[in-house]
Amino acid sequence: MNRLPDVAVIFSRFKPILSRRRCLVNMKLVLRLASMVLAAVVLTSAAGDALAQTYPTKYIRVFVPAPAGGGTDILARIIGQKFTEKWGQQVVIENRGGASGTIAAEMAAKSAPDGYNLFMLYSGILTINPSLLKKLPYDPIKDFTPVAIFVQVPNILVVHPSVPAKSVKELIALAKSKPGQLNCASSGIGVSNYMCMELFKSMTGVDWVHIPYKGGAPAMIDLLGGQVQVMFNNLVELVPHIKAGKLRALAVATPKRISAMPDLPTIAEAGVPGYENLLWYGMVAPAGTPKEIINKLSAEILKIQQMPDVKERLNTMGAEPIDFTPEQMDAYIKAEMAKWAKVIKEAGIQPE
Amino acid sequence: MMELINHLILGFGVALTPINLLYCLFGVSIGTLIGVLPGIGPLATIAMLLPLTFNVPAVSALIMLAGIYYGAMYGGSTTSILVNIPGEAASVVTCLDGYQMARQGRAGPALAIAALGSFFAGCVATVIIALFAPPLAEVALKFGPAEYFSLMVLGLVSAAVLAHGSLLKAIAMILLGLLLGLVGTDVNSRVRRFTFGIPDLFDGISFVVIAMGLFAFAEVITNLERKGKRVVLTDVQTLLPTRADLKASWKAVVRGTGLGSLLGILPGGGAIISSFASYTLEKRLAADPSRFGKGAIEGVAGPESANNAGAQSSFIPMLTLGIPSNAVMAVMLGAMMIQGIIPGPQVMTERPHLFWGLIASMWVGNLMLVVINLPLIGIWIRLLTVPYRLLYPAILLFCCIGAYSLSNSSFEVALTAGFGLLGYIFAKLDCEPAPLLLGFILGPMMEEYLLRAMRLSRGDPTVFFTRPISLAMLVAVAFLILMIIAPAVRRKRKEVFHE
Repeated sequence: MNRLPDVAVIFSRFKPILSRRRCLVNMKLVLRLASMVLAAVVLTSAAGDALAQTYPTKYIRVFVPAPAGGGTDILARIIGQKFTEKWGQQVVIENRGGASGTIAAEMAAKSAPDGYNLFMLYSGILTINPSLLKKLPYDPIKDFTPVAIFVQVPNILVVHPSVPAKSVKELIALAKSKPGQLNCASSGIGVSNYMCMELFKSMTGVDWVHIPYKGGAPAMIDLLGGQVQVMFNNLVELVPHIKAGKLRALAVATPKRISAMPDLPTIAEAGVPGYENLLWYGMVAPAGTPKEIINKLSAEILKIQQMPDVKERLNTMGAEPIDFTPEQMDAYIKAEMAKWAKVIKEAGIQPE
Repeated sequence: MMELINHLILGFGVALTPINLLYCLFGVSIGTLIGVLPGIGPLATIAMLLPLTFNVPAVSALIMLAGIYYGAMYGGSTTSILVNIPGEAASVVTCLDGYQMARQGRAGPALAIAALGSFFAGCVATVIIALFAPPLAEVALKFGPAEYFSLMVLGLVSAAVLAHGSLLKAIAMILLGLLLGLVGTDVNSRVRRFTFGIPDLFDGISFVVIAMGLFAFAEVITNLERKGKRVVLTDVQTLLPTRADLKASWKAVVRGTGLGSLLGILPGGGAIISSFASYTLEKRLAADPSRFGKGAIEGVAGPESANNAGAQSSFIPMLTLGIPSNAVMAVMLGAMMIQGIIPGPQVMTERPHLFWGLIASMWVGNLMLVVINLPLIGIWIRLLTVPYRLLYPAILLFCCIGAYSLSNSSFEVALTAGFGLLGYIFAKLDCEPAPLLLGFILGPMMEEYLLRAMRLSRGDPTVFFTRPISLAMLVAVAFLILMIIAPAVRRKRKEVFHE
C-alpha cells in the first residue's frame, strides 16, 4: 500500500489534540507536533487526494437522530447499503432518537472529523432547532461541514371536504372572513408541517386555531373526521385519502411542483408568492473533516439518489431526490436559519 | 352474520399462515412457561419481549404477545394446583381448591378441568370479540376529543374501583402514574416538565422502561426473598376427569366464562378480577359452601374459565376504542404504537387483516394450549424444578438488553433498574403497580384530549356535558364514585378481594 495515506491518517489523529483547548503545553510535544504538522502540510495536497482515493479503509459510522424504522433511519440505511456495495466497507447506523434530534447531533458534533463519522439529518435540526431551543448542545454552522442534501419530502396543504374552499386563494379568503373559526392541525410544535403553517400564517395573515398532535397519525384521524379542517402534511400519509376523496389537496409547499402530483400547484403559484418550505434530508460531517473526503461522499450520495432502485424506494416513502452540493447546502442552511428565526419570532414562540 | 363469517375467514387466512402459526405457538408456549414459573407474570414477559417485536410484522407481533397473555392463564393453573403457589396473579384462587385436589391424588382431573374450562372460555370469548367489537368500533368512530376524554376518566375511575387491595393505595398509584406520565415535553406548550435538563427525558419516560422495571425487575427481586422449599406434587396419575367431575363443573365453567367475558370488557377489569369474582360466585351458589377450600372442583373450573375469558375479552376495548382496560392491555397498546399503528376504531376498518387475524389466532392459540397443557404436562412439571439461580439472572439480562435497545442508551437501563427498585418498595408497601401503569398511559392521553377538546370548543368546558356520549360516560363516572362512597359496596369489594 501507498505510504502517503498513513501520514495523513497520523495527521488526522493528531488534529483533535491540536484543536483541544486545554491542551497541556509541553515543549517536546509541541516540537514533535510542529514537525509532524510541517511534514503533513508539505504532503497535504498529495495526501489529500490519496486519502480520498483510498477512503474508506474501515467502517463508517452514521449517526441517525431517530429510532430504527422511521424515515430518517431508512434513508440512512439506503445510503449505507450503497456505500458498502461501492466501497466494501461496513456502515454502522447509530440510532439515537429523542430531544428533537439534539442527542444525536451532539454526539455527531463531538465525533472525530476523520471521514468515518457522518450525521444523517433532516432540515429542522440545523435550521429550526436554533430558534426553538434555548440550550442547543451544538452549533449548526461551526460544528458541521455540509456534505449533501439529497431528498425532499413534500408537504401538501389539504382541507377536509366540508370546507368550501377549492383553492389556496379561496381558503385564505374563507379564513379571513371567519377569523378564528377554522382549525389547523400539526404533528407538534417545531416539526416541519407546523413550520409550514406558521409560515403560511405569517405570509397571509390568516387567523385560524392551531391544534397540535403527537405525530401525524393521530392528527390525520381528526382531520379525516372533520374535527380539524386544515393541515399541512407529507405525501405518504395524505395520498390514499386524497385519492379516496376524503381530503382535498390545494397546493404543495415545495419551491417547485412535485413529480408525484404534477397538476398540483405550489403554494407560491397558487397565491402566496415567495412561499416555500422544504423538508429536506441530508448528510453532514463533523467540522474539520477533510475536504476531499467530503467531496467524494457528496458525489457518491448524489449518484446513489439517482439509482433506479433507490428512486423506487424513495417513491414509496413519498420522497423525491433533490441535489445540493456541499457549497450550495452551506449557503442554503444559513439562509434557512435566518428565515425561520424570523418566522418563529413573529409567531411569538419562545425558545424552550 | 354473513359479514361475520367473511371476517372470520379473512382472520383465519391470516392466522393460519405458517409464520403466524409459528408466532402463535411461540407466544402460547412462552405464555404457558411463564404461567407455570411462579414469580414472573404475563405483563413482565410481554414488556420484556416488546423490543424483540420491533422488526416483526405488526400482526405477527400482536398474535405472539396476545398468546403470551392467555397462554399464561393456562400455565398459571398448573403451578397453583401442583405447588400451591400461583404461577401468576390470576391463578391465586385456583390454589385454594386445586392444591387440595392434588393432595387428594386428584391433580390430573384438576389440571384437565382447568385446561378444558379455559379452552371453552377461550372459544366463547373469541366469538364474543368477533360479535361485539364491530358495533362498538362503529360507535367509537363518532368519538371526538371530548368523548375520548370522558372515556378515559371512566377508565381511570374504574381502574381504581376494580383494583386489587386497598382503594386508597390504588388511587395513590394512579396519581403517581399520572405524574410520571407528565415527564417530558408538553405537546401544547412545548414546556419541559420534570426533565431536570436530561435530554433522555425530553420525550418522556418510555413505558417499556416502567413496565419492565416495575414488573420484571421487581418481581425477580421479591421472589428472591421467598424462602422455603417448593414442594411439587409430581404425582399426576390420570388426567381424565370422572363423569361426576364433569357434571359438577360444567355449570361453573359456563358461569365463569360469562362473568369473565363481562368483567374483561369493563375498563379496569381483566383476568385477575374475573377469577376472584367467579370463585365468590361459585361459593355463593354452591349447595354446600363448606366444600370450598377442601378440593371442590367448581372452585377450579369457574375461576380458570373466568380468567381466560376475562383475558381475552379485555382485548375488546383495546382494539375498538384504543383504551387499555388493564395494564397488560396498556402494554399491548404500546406494542401497537411502536408498530406505527394508532389504536382506535379505525384499526378494524383500515387494517382488517390485523384485527381479524389477531382474533382468529386466539382460537388457534387456545387449541394449541390444550395440547400443550394436557398431553405435555410432564414437561411443565419438570420445568417447575428449574433452579431460580439460573432463571433470574437470565431474565434480568434479557431485560437489560431490551431496555438498552430502546434507544441505544445506557440511561434507559439505569432507569429500568431504578424502577425495579421502586417496584420492590411498592411490593413491600403492598401497593399494586398495575394502576400506576394505567395512570401512566391514560394520564397524558387524557391531558391531550382535554386540552384538544377545550381548544376545539374555544375554551367552553360545557362541551363535555352537551355531547351525549361524553355525558353518559361522565354520569357513569359519577355513579361509580357514589358506589365507592357507599359503605355497603365497600364492604362487598373487600369481601371479593379477601376470599
